Amino acid sequence: MRDTAKIGILYSTTGPYGALGRDGWAGAECALHDWQAAGGEGVELVFFDAHADLSAYLEGARSLIRDHGCRNIVGTITSSARKEVIPLVEKHDGLLWYMCPYEGFEANENVIYIAGCPNQHLIPLLDHLMPRHGNRPYLLGANYVWGWETNRLARELITKAGGQILGERYLPLEETAVERIIADIAEKRPSFILNNLIGPSSYAFLAALRRLGEQNPAFLPENCPVASCDLTECELSDIEKGAAVGQLCALPYFDSLDTAENRAFKARVQAWRPEITHISSIFASAYAAVTLCIAAIQSCGSDEPMAIRREVTSRTWPSVLGDLVIDPATNHSALPFHLGRINAEGGFDVIASRPAIVADPYLTGERARPAPSLRVVS
Amino acid sequence: MINTPNFAGWRATILAEEDGNTDRLRRQLALLGVSASLQWLPLSPIDLPDLVIVDADRGWDELLPWPEGKPARPVAALLGSEAPGRIAWAIGCGASAIIPKPVSASAIYPALVLAVASHQQRMEADARVAKLEERLRLLPVVFAAINRLKTERQIDDEEAYRLLRECAMERRMPMEQLAALFLGGSKALKDVG
Repeated sequence: MRDTAKIGILYSTTGPYGALGRDGWAGAECALHDWQAAGGEGVELVFFDAHADLSAYLEGARSLIRDHGCRNIVGTITSSARKEVIPLVEKHDGLLWYMCPYEGFEANENVIYIAGCPNQHLIPLLDHLMPRHGNRPYLLGANYVWGWETNRLARELITKAGGQILGERYLPLEETAVERIIADIAEKRPSFILNNLIGPSSYAFLAALRRLGEQNPAFLPENCPVASCDLTECELSDIEKGAAVGQLCALPYFDSLDTAENRAFKARVQAWRPEITHISSIFASAYAAVTLCIAAIQSCGSDEPMAIRREVTSRTWPSVLGDLVIDPATNHSALPFHLGRINAEGGFDVIASRPAIVADPYLTGERARPAPSLRVVS
Repeated sequence: MINTPNFAGWRATILAEEDGNTDRLRRQLALLGVSASLQWLPLSPIDLPDLVIVDADRGWDELLPWPEGKPARPVAALLGSEAPGRIAWAIGCGASAIIPKPVSASAIYPALVLAVASHQQRMEADARVAKLEERLRLLPVVFAAINRLKTERQIDDEEAYRLLRECAMERRMPMEQLAALFLGGSKALKDVG
């Protein structure tokens, strides 16, 4: 390769989802570090911190593309930020590597999705919860498209399964006044709570619900669990100590996954930065995205986005998320489903898993392979 | 509750000349589960597809086999031009959604959802209007039946109307139809009253 290929890394390390951005940033750095440690050269990461300002994402993407010559950008956490960046990436024929769980209904040629859509997280999560806890849930969401759409789909699936939604409430990203929601939940007694809140609102809710559970055991996790698709290890220390223990989250990766690959990965991360005690799915997904991007650049001998896209969709790539297969029709990665239960040690115990599920971003039902039965491991 | 729109198994015809736009369109339609065919010839009125996407920048009147403003299928228009004449042409062929050119993947699913929903609303509204027009047309028949009932049975307006309505409900037919039968000499009201 003639020149150094530059990969842009675009996250917010501050603001309501700063913990996720910091983990994405670290995962990207770690991937570069591991690659360089193995003798790799000719790739550079360029970081831009949008500080949770939506318009700064566009500015950041522009700077990465125009000023730094990055043709591949890994990043954005929220769908709002992703949607902000995509038109610019399209215009410059670049490639955005998105690696967060999201609400689906998108398949852009200029985006590689190492990111689960609802048939990979929400649907198997509800499949797990309804037979065990009942079908009368309460829905919570952050007041933007992720919360709205995930809950809309949950309502559709639950209603079609003969269930009933007992309540549906939304909070702005930084809102922590959850008393009215708690009072409503106490009155309605849902069978479980689907929590699509983000950041501080989510942490405040979990803490307040724990206090309700202490007064009335009907609201303890074993009787009325709170389940989400977006709560990761990197946030658990921001939640009041012990408040979230027993609650559930569905993600493609957990630090506690007991596989040889994951043990080796954790050992590498520990050697790189001993202070990282728990690896989140955000860290692992950013690591996987950057590693895959670098491997594809090496393999193509260029960072030209359309060549990279052809390359990544043409074969299977070993990764920390398992073997990655990216569907050339949707640019989405097949991803495993793991259900984690928060433990007292600041991590998750994996209580159920499914092998990689092919992404069906528009829920046509045509892309999904016959669903294997859920394997309960504890 | 909003059901998730699903186009899996649908057939679409794209009325356009093949280019980069139609390539992107076909790719996205394929992943939505829609089988699409492309032609730059008038659409045959026989064996219509489930939906039609037409190039409104260059389309001509004979492309679509239905009268202006009366689409038999949902239509989305591919449009790059801002010329009022082309927009009017798109409206004339029954388009209820636009896919802007250059085509971007994210424009297609929303346009299909919108086109199909608007078409459905239009069909329902048309059916309702047709039914109301028919009833309006037959209103004099109802009046005539009421008048005759009043004379024959020595009852007032209200009673005659009630009789007619109850009998229609009993026989599960519109009041207008029953009134016509009665005026035509049938014994439609024999058992009533």
